[in-house]
Parts: sequence; structure tokens; C-alpha cells
Amino acid sequence: MTRTSPGRWRFSLQHALVLPLLLLIAAVLLYPLLFSFWVSLHDYELTRLNDVTFIGARHYMELPQNPSFMNAMENTVIFVVSAVGLEFIIGFSLAHLLYQQRTLRNAYRAILLTPMFITPIAVGLIFRFLLNSQLGIIPFLLGKVNISIDFFGPQLALLSIILIDVWQWTPFMLLLLLAGLESLPLEPFEAARIDGASGFAILRYLTLPLMRPVIMAALIIRGLDAFKVFEYIWAITRGGPGEQTETILFHIYKVGFRFFRMGQAAAMGYGLVVVVILMAFTVYWSLDRLPLRLQARRQHQIRQQMQEQG
Amino acid sequence: MQTTTESPLWRITRNIILITATLAVVFPYFWITLTSIKPPDLVAHPDVWLFSPAWDNWQEVLFESDVPHNLLNSILVGSAAVLIALLVGSPAAYSFSRFRTGGPGVRFGILAAQMVPPAILIIPLFLIMYHTRLLDTLWAVIAAHLTFVLPMVTWFLIGFFDEVPVELEEQAMVDGCTHFQAFYRVVLPVVRPGLAASAIFGFVLSWNDMFYSLLLTGGDAKTLPAAISGFWTFRGIELGKMSVAVMIAIVPVLIASFFIQRYLVRGLGAGAVKA
Repeated sequence: MTRTSPGRWRFSLQHALVLPLLLLIAAVLLYPLLFSFWVSLHDYELTRLNDVTFIGARHYMELPQNPSFMNAMENTVIFVVSAVGLEFIIGFSLAHLLYQQRTLRNAYRAILLTPMFITPIAVGLIFRFLLNSQLGIIPFLLGKVNISIDFFGPQLALLSIILIDVWQWTPFMLLLLLAGLESLPLEPFEAARIDGASGFAILRYLTLPLMRPVIMAALIIRGLDAFKVFEYIWAITRGGPGEQTETILFHIYKVGFRFFRMGQAAAMGYGLVVVVILMAFTVYWSLDRLPLRLQARRQHQIRQQMQEQG
Repeated sequence: MQTTTESPLWRITRNIILITATLAVVFPYFWITLTSIKPPDLVAHPDVWLFSPAWDNWQEVLFESDVPHNLLNSILVGSAAVLIALLVGSPAAYSFSRFRTGGPGVRFGILAAQMVPPAILIIPLFLIMYHTRLLDTLWAVIAAHLTFVLPMVTWFLIGFFDEVPVELEEQAMVDGCTHFQAFYRVVLPVVRPGLAASAIFGFVLSWNDMFYSLLLTGGDAKTLPAAISGFWTFRGIELGKMSVAVMIAIVPVLIASFFIQRYLVRGLGAGAVKA
């Protein structure tokens, strides 16, 4: 025992500590993922479990021609982009206001953050109730001023779902962005103010660039999370009217658990992953790489102009 | 910030906006509370705000429905998932934090694991539980919840272990502890607030999930969110009971949120930005 070198011993301890986690992740995440891929390559239907045949990539090839799938994907992308965009704009504004606020700042923050902690199905049910055209308080109050809005009708259903998501998840943006603002160094802002920079210039050339890592983290985490939207749809519209609010997770639920076409549903899951990764990469590229390139090009132009002027 | 004098007009505007936002957040809570104590025949009347409170809804939900059973399921599932996640996650998180086991890729991997969409996991999980005859058992829900509780808890803990100075355990080892003893006798007690915050947050995640519970259980093992989704039928009387069930699901979490808010930024935001 005493002969074992400390370095070697430490080597085995660090791996022994990780082993249980790896085994459990393999069991609950890795194995299901691989199994799901296997299922997606088969004609796997819950009603015909004795008759599962290998069909290769056919489910994947069929996805782009499947109008319901493409419709659900389109709805989901519209939902994610609009909801996360609105949440970012409102969250960023509220974070700025709270940052300037001195009295009751913590009380405001504690209350404003609460929606992100409660179960989405409860939020869905509450808003179905609040916005219901016969029973809801909001259409009732709007009716007093002669406004009649059918929140879950054909024109507005998806927008209403987006606004419900904004109610629940703007707090997440507020949480991260306010923490980001609070961790910014104060000196550059004081210097800019002394130099007489306008509020817009400070926002554009100081706050936004300094906040870029936080903004990127907030957008990507929230964006990936928004793709999972299911509960509001389940609670309120069940995909209707028609298929207008059918999001991708709801569609996969329908194909897998109502039509029992497990193979097709599994392929759709992987199709979703491709879209999600593309979106995350786009956000990363446009917030992390693109500004650097634009900056480099601008500096290059300035240098050239200076050279031309001698 | 303190040095600049701001115009009183802006201060009033800002407070008006903040109060409006606060009202927008609080009003749904208020309305659902009001509805839960409305007499059943008034539930369908949004214009009635004043009435003598009736406890029929609460009585029926608490004593004559399955909600207490679903509540117990939620507590059992959340506790089991969190306990397993802490037991398995904290040694691993310590190893990732202290020895950089697996290099920088590991942190990204854990973050990615937590982002795996349920869309891709529900089909295989359902089939596995179907073939092992575990559908509609708490085990099925616990396993499904581990897919997101485990990475999230581990991710949080890495951040908390990062803050513990190495000298602490070196001192313990000089005093004769083995490295493992130094870990569980010295380091673990130091990160206890972090363990508590991760546990509460993991529990809230499990508590709030409806999707897996809805599809992996059908009756006996239903958790609270899956059960309240069954109150969606809008037959007047159900609405009051739905409000009660919704309150039972959200009030504990609202209370817990006040305790975990400040840890959340450290665990989630700081870690995300650092990585």
C-alpha cells in the first residue's frame, strides 16, 4: 500500500469518483439515444411489435415531404424566434430598469422572477382560464370597452401561446441579464459619462459588447429550452385550430402515442436535433464570430483610409 | 450609479413600469386564488369579485380526489431523483472540478446532456419501460427525470466545488486524511449550501415536469402536473377544483424560489459564462 505512488493513486481516485455518473448517464441517456436511433431505422409500430422490419433511412427521407411535420417545425421555429426575441427585449429593458432602481429593488426582483419557477402546465391552465372568451376575466374586461378578441381562434392562437411563454420565461432573461449588468466594471461607464457619451452610445458601444457572453448564454439556453414547448399546447389548444399551434414536440407525441408510429416519431426527434443544433450554431456565430469579423473589417478600412490620406 | 442625479420624472416613470410588470406577474396568482375559494355557482362569472369564501373546492380536492396521492408521487419521485443525482453527481462534480477529469470537453458534455430534447428521449424511454413492464410505476418517472436532473445537479455542483480553495483539503491530508476522506469530511460540509441549492433546484425541475409523467404513467403513478392536466375540461365546477390543484402545485415552488434565486445565477449563469 505504502509503495503506491501518490500520483498513481490520485489518478485512480479521480476516475473512480466519475464512474457512477458515467454508468448512470449511459443507462438513462446514452442507451435511450442509441435505441432511439435504432428504432428510427425500422418500421417500428406499437401495434405490430412482432413485425419490425429494417427500412434504413426511409423515415428520414420522408420527413421533408411530410406536410404535418414541416408545418409543426415551422410553427416551432416561429414560436421560438418570436418568444425568445420578445423575452430578450423585455427582459433586457426590465433588467436596466431594475439596475437603476434603489428602493424595493430586491422585492421587485423576487416577485418578477417567480413565473419561471412554476410548472408550465399550471401556467397553461391559468391562462386558458384567464383568456377564455366566456369565462375569462381578460375578455370580460376588454368587452367593457367594446373590444372582442378570440385569443385562441385561428388568427391569434399561436400568438397567444407565444405571449404565455413570454409571461413565464421573460424572468429567466431578467435573471441572467441583471446578474450580467451587476457584474460589469463601473469605470468605463463613468469615463464615458464624463466624456459626454449619449445613453444610446453607451448602450451600443459599452453595455452590449461587454454583455455579449451573458447575452449569448441567455439566448442559447432559453432558445434550446423553448423548443421543448408542449404544456401550453396540451393545456389549451391541443394543436388546433387545425394544426395551427401544433409544435414539434406535440406532433411527435401525436405520431408516437396516438398513431403508434414509433419509428417515424424517433426519426422526427433526430430531425429536431439537427434543426436545434443549426439554430444554436447560428446564434453563436452571429453573436461571437460575426461582430469580431465586422470589427476587423472596419479597422482594416480605417487603416486603409489613413494610408490613402498619407 | 449613486453619483448621478436622476430626474424625478424618470424615477416615477420607471416605478410605474415596474409596478405594471409586477401586477402582470401577480394578477394570475391572485385570480386563481380567488377562483379556488369562489362558491361553485359563481366560478363561471368573471364579474363577481366579492363573495363569501367557500371551501367546497378545497375540501373536495383534498379529501375526495386523487390529488393527495399524486402529490405524494411527486414528492417521492422528486426526492428519489435528487437523492440519486446528489449521490452520483457530487463525487463526479468534485473530480471534474478538482482534477479537471476529462478536460474542458466534459463541462460542455454535461451542458449538452442537459439540453437533450425530450422529443428524442420519450420514444425510447417509453419502449424500454413498456418492455420491462415498468410503465405506470414511479421507477419509470424517476429514470426519465434523471435524464435532466442528473446533468443539471452535476453542472451546479461543479460550480460550487470550483469555489472551494485547494488548501482546505491539502491541510486535511497533511493532518492524516486520505484524499477521499478529505473530500467527504472536509469539502462536502463546506459546499453544503451548494448541495442544498442544487437539491432544491433539482427537486423543482422534477416537480414541474408534466411531459414524461403524462406519457409514462396512466393512473397509479401519475404525478401532480400530469394529474392537473386532467382538469382541463371546462365544466364550471371543475374550474374551481382545477384552481385548487394548480395552487397546490405552484405555492410550494413559489416559496422555494425566494430561497434559490440568488444561487441560481451562480449555478447557472456564472457556470455558463465561464465555460
